[in-house]
Amino acid sequence: MLLVIGNKNYSSWSLRPWLAMKVLGIAFDEVRIPLYQPGSKERILGYSKAGKVPILRDGDTVVWDSLAILEYLAERHPQLWPADRAERAKARSVSAEMHSGFAKLREHMSMNTRKHYPGKGRTPESMADVARIDGIWSQAKGPFLFGAFGAADAMYAPVVLRFRTYGVEVRKKSYMDAMLDLPAMREWIEAAEREPESIPEQDLYG
Amino acid sequence: MQIVIGNKNYSSWSMRPWVLAKEAGIPFEEVQLKFNEADGGLTVDGIDRFNVAGKVPVLVIDGEPVWDSLAICETLAERFPEKQLWPADRSARQVARSICAEMHSGFTGMRSSMPMNIRSQYPGKGMTEQTRRDIDRVLEIWTTCREKFGKGGAMLFSRFSVADAYFAPVVMRFRAYAVELSPVCRAYSEAVQALRSVREWMDGARKETEFVPTDEPYASRNR
Repeated sequence: MLLVIGNKNYSSWSLRPWLAMKVLGIAFDEVRIPLYQPGSKERILGYSKAGKVPILRDGDTVVWDSLAILEYLAERHPQLWPADRAERAKARSVSAEMHSGFAKLREHMSMNTRKHYPGKGRTPESMADVARIDGIWSQAKGPFLFGAFGAADAMYAPVVLRFRTYGVEVRKKSYMDAMLDLPAMREWIEAAEREPESIPEQDLYG
Repeated sequence: MQIVIGNKNYSSWSMRPWVLAKEAGIPFEEVQLKFNEADGGLTVDGIDRFNVAGKVPVLVIDGEPVWDSLAICETLAERFPEKQLWPADRSARQVARSICAEMHSGFTGMRSSMPMNIRSQYPGKGMTEQTRRDIDRVLEIWTTCREKFGKGGAMLFSRFSVADAYFAPVVMRFRAYAVELSPVCRAYSEAVQALRSVREWMDGARKETEFVPTDEPYASRNR
């Protein structure tokens, strides 16, 4: 299997399937395409006509979009979703909510793994998103949202990195700690810190 | 089982699971709530009793709320496997999932400049540069799916699936804004509009009289 991702520092969508595959111990080759550079778009289009990362290639099968990749992985690795069907429906709800929502959080507190911008990006709208996420996390069933690490946690992993960057406090700090303690998460952060590329438009606060 | 929806004229997210369940013959009770713009922001009157995300659609199944259109579609597909809501073929299924997810998180240009408005006609409005790119991508998706997976029927993956429910509101948009379509895409768009569930939804939308300013960027101001 081959996973095509963007910059580890900036690409929140890329982190989601990457982390899920690492935590599950699924072997894969990683292709990292630094975004917004000459030729980046063409390289991505070579893998998927949707033109966006992440992209998973498994033999002849190409799956694009973070949530579709997680569902694809879950067909073979059902432990990505809770075993109980009501819990599973809830996990899918919070994952889909992340996937299509929290636009203001994404705009004002974009993922920037290696930066520290405490207190920045706080608008009434972005803080309403933060409050909603805080509410979801505060109901975590265990160290992770539904007990053990799953797809829903993969979806919220970039938010943990955002809150770390922007110094956002949450009620359930243990959730952020559990996420940041994952060896795969530490590996991602270290790689992001070492990345030479920077995207000035995405370094929102200097 | 209940499906909680917003205004049929405007709520593209609501249309998706409603059309999916209706077309597949999954019985459900429809609960309609209306958008309210009284306090400046767009809210849904009465949604608080269904879920904490505050948005439509919601599926209430076994007394539990499932929210967000994509999560609802996945949940319905799982609970009603005999309906084959996703394509049975593994590789077709991944394409179907990918294009639905792409729709779910993207196409923001088209969504903002061509909001769904079933009862209205605004030919030529809303065609920004980003919207043009979004439309071209939708047409590419439709063309590819029809050619690669659609030979056995009129839908994207031959027979009706989540993917068609997901693109039905886009068909509504292209109709309202008179977007030009290739023969392949026009045939697909007509096939979607001929679905019984879609016709029923459109009839419902035309009967609605509520006016939601946020979703009416092209309406004359003196109404």
